Amino acid sequence: MTLQTSVTFAPVKKDRVPLTEIDVRDAEAARKLGRVRPSGADRSARMSTFNSAL
Amino acid sequence: MTRPVVPFREIVLKVHSRCDLACDHCYIYEHADQSWRTRPKTISDEAIFWTALRLAEHAKKHALPSVSVILHGGEPLLAGPTRLRRVCEELTKALDGVAALDLRIHTNGLQLSPRYLELFDEFGVKVGISLDGDKAANDRHRRFADGRSSHPLVLKAVELLGTDRWRHLNLGLLCTVDVANDPVAVHDALMELDPPRIDFLLPHATWDEPPPRPDGSPTAYADWLLTVFDRWDRQGRRVPVRLFASVLSTLSGGPGLTESLGLTPTDLVVVETDGTLEQVDSLKTAYEGAAATGFDVFAHTFDEVAAHPGVRARQLGLAGVGATCRECPVVRSCGGGLYAHRYRSGTGFDNTSVYCTDLEALVRGVERRTAARSVPAAVTDDGELRTEQHELTRLLLAGLHRELDGRGGEDWARAWELAGTVDRHPGALDGVLSHPYTRGWLHGALDALHEGSPGAALLPAGRLASSVAAAVVRGGLDLPVQVPYEDGALLLPTIGELRLTGAAPHGTAEVRPVEKGLLVRTGDGERHIPRPDEHSAGWRPVRRLGRDGAPDLAVDDLDPYRDCFDAPALPRLGHAEAAEWTARLARAWGLLRARAPEQAAAAAASLTTLTPVDGRRPAAGRHALGALGVPLRAEAAELAPVLLRGWRRARLWALLEVTDLYADDGLWTHPAPWQEAPVPVSELLAGAYERTGLRAFDPDGAEAALRALDTLDRAAELTVGGKRLLALLWEEADRDRHSR
Repeated sequence: MTLQTSVTFAPVKKDRVPLTEIDVRDAEAARKLGRVRPSGADRSARMSTFNSAL
Repeated sequence: MTRPVVPFREIVLKVHSRCDLACDHCYIYEHADQSWRTRPKTISDEAIFWTALRLAEHAKKHALPSVSVILHGGEPLLAGPTRLRRVCEELTKALDGVAALDLRIHTNGLQLSPRYLELFDEFGVKVGISLDGDKAANDRHRRFADGRSSHPLVLKAVELLGTDRWRHLNLGLLCTVDVANDPVAVHDALMELDPPRIDFLLPHATWDEPPPRPDGSPTAYADWLLTVFDRWDRQGRRVPVRLFASVLSTLSGGPGLTESLGLTPTDLVVVETDGTLEQVDSLKTAYEGAAATGFDVFAHTFDEVAAHPGVRARQLGLAGVGATCRECPVVRSCGGGLYAHRYRSGTGFDNTSVYCTDLEALVRGVERRTAARSVPAAVTDDGELRTEQHELTRLLLAGLHRELDGRGGEDWARAWELAGTVDRHPGALDGVLSHPYTRGWLHGALDALHEGSPGAALLPAGRLASSVAAAVVRGGLDLPVQVPYEDGALLLPTIGELRLTGAAPHGTAEVRPVEKGLLVRTGDGERHIPRPDEHSAGWRPVRRLGRDGAPDLAVDDLDPYRDCFDAPALPRLGHAEAAEWTARLARAWGLLRARAPEQAAAAAASLTTLTPVDGRRPAAGRHALGALGVPLRAEAAELAPVLLRGWRRARLWALLEVTDLYADDGLWTHPAPWQEAPVPVSELLAGAYERTGLRAFDPDGAEAALRALDTLDRAAELTVGGKRLLALLWEEADRDRHSR
């Protein structure tokens, strides 16, 4: 049987990464997770912002 | 109260104080500060040793994950390979096991040779080269003392660095803007060299020594940069340009990416060749001694410099810019400009930037060109919002698996593997994972792991197994799933709950779909549920609304993670109570459709689940988009605005989980028409969003919302996504006003 009357679900993204292959460590994933699970200390390496020419 | 010191993460180390070029725009030699004349030409062993020591102690004390050291000058290659090797060795040794070391060198490139590059390869030193564009542009300033062109030699260095052997060390090109140059020729010449990144720098200037504006235009530099932007954009943004990336980042709510833009506190200190510690280098353009601190690496820690008033003044973010800048809508992107560019004799640095008009025009110009493309689709498309929300749930589940890192036991490993199998069947697992209360489970499990609660690692397996079992049943997949049950009850999220009377109170059951319904097998025997959507002995289905014109929503009073609202979730409703409540909900939905048809349709398309809660107000909760906590005891007339209010809250909440609608929330406060005390932008937007949507039920509130929208129009915190949402609110308000 197939239940047709249960909760409707969201449109599924085309070409999405299978569940078990999702890399939660890449920068984009970290940014998305950061919105809902902000971590306390910022332990990420920060890019240099210095930009003086010589 | 004393603010904590902002630790330095970037050290500019002057390894040589002289240069082999005589560029007439150089801030080191040609501007106000002439301290280079008194510095030793080359950094001493002692200064190198103490710099490394100070940096390591600083990184250790502040637990910095990484530090950048930029070898600088003068011309740093003039220090020679032996001296540079000493610098690299000392720094690498001192930082070993303390923090990652990001070594860079900024050079004019004239001396660059394989000999240097072998050394840089050994220590991972990335190389940035200064080049002002095509030959004509470069030679306008970057010449030898006798007037000869530096262009051929610089090109040779760039080409060497771009070869396969050394490409991994290539940091990119630094180009100082001169508006007399042809912006397209400059862009094309730089792009042709295929650098990994380009930096465009405004020439250092102050109100005392303003930048040249050949045609008198107050936006000459913005116009020049926007011409480059258009060319860069049209050609597909082939090479990252940090100035543009920074503006695009801040417009979307991210940080500034260069010290010359944005409100990020400065975390940079300069060590001169004699070991003296100075503030940021560009201050040398302001006045003699502007960068001095009176400290040196031999006698002072980096913390002492970090506490210096001049350094702290550049760490204040919004409080560190002048009154005009604090009120300016683009300040998050420009940050008031480079500190040095604000200088004016008499008032010091308490001014706008001498490039203020350019910076504003640049930020607005980039925004105007890109806003339509930069707005997250979820802001304008509810389908996209639901998709993004669902992807976020999957990401959180993958995050939980990684967090468990093998500690979840065999049950988790088995359920995870099955989840992977079921995930290959389109829609099956999605139908369960997109159930809003999946999110409550995931947050709870992650919280427990982070808090180190006893047994936290073993708890999540049960819910994952029951979710997979529900997915298998929903998809009709021929796959038996072992599901743990507790207290004699087995829950299949989104479907129902089986009371296992007669079986052991705790245990594992096998769940599988059969031709008619589903089969649950325990050590005690089998239970067949032929119609999972109907009540039967021991089986309690998730009820559905879907009557009298109401949308077909689940009425979930079973899921243990439904108690995530700011009002307590009620226990399972009796038959009569449920029938009476759903009838009232259907009548309320009818009222909603009559008075706010568009919103009723949008809510019906996105909501999936209603849960009865205590109290009389709508309840928002920590779950994914799609669920509302709806008070059990309210009448239909009360429920209609309650449903709408709840839906508006849930939608904005969901948007904020997948997009950045504003940044730096709380940095400013704004008047709110509905209360005396000012509020941060998050509250103002939430209040306006809710009230705009409730015009049909609360016209006074909607009028107040208009005033809030006016205020939001001038708010600096809104991102391009936030501004698009604001525009949609204006359209909604106008439409509603005109239709009445």
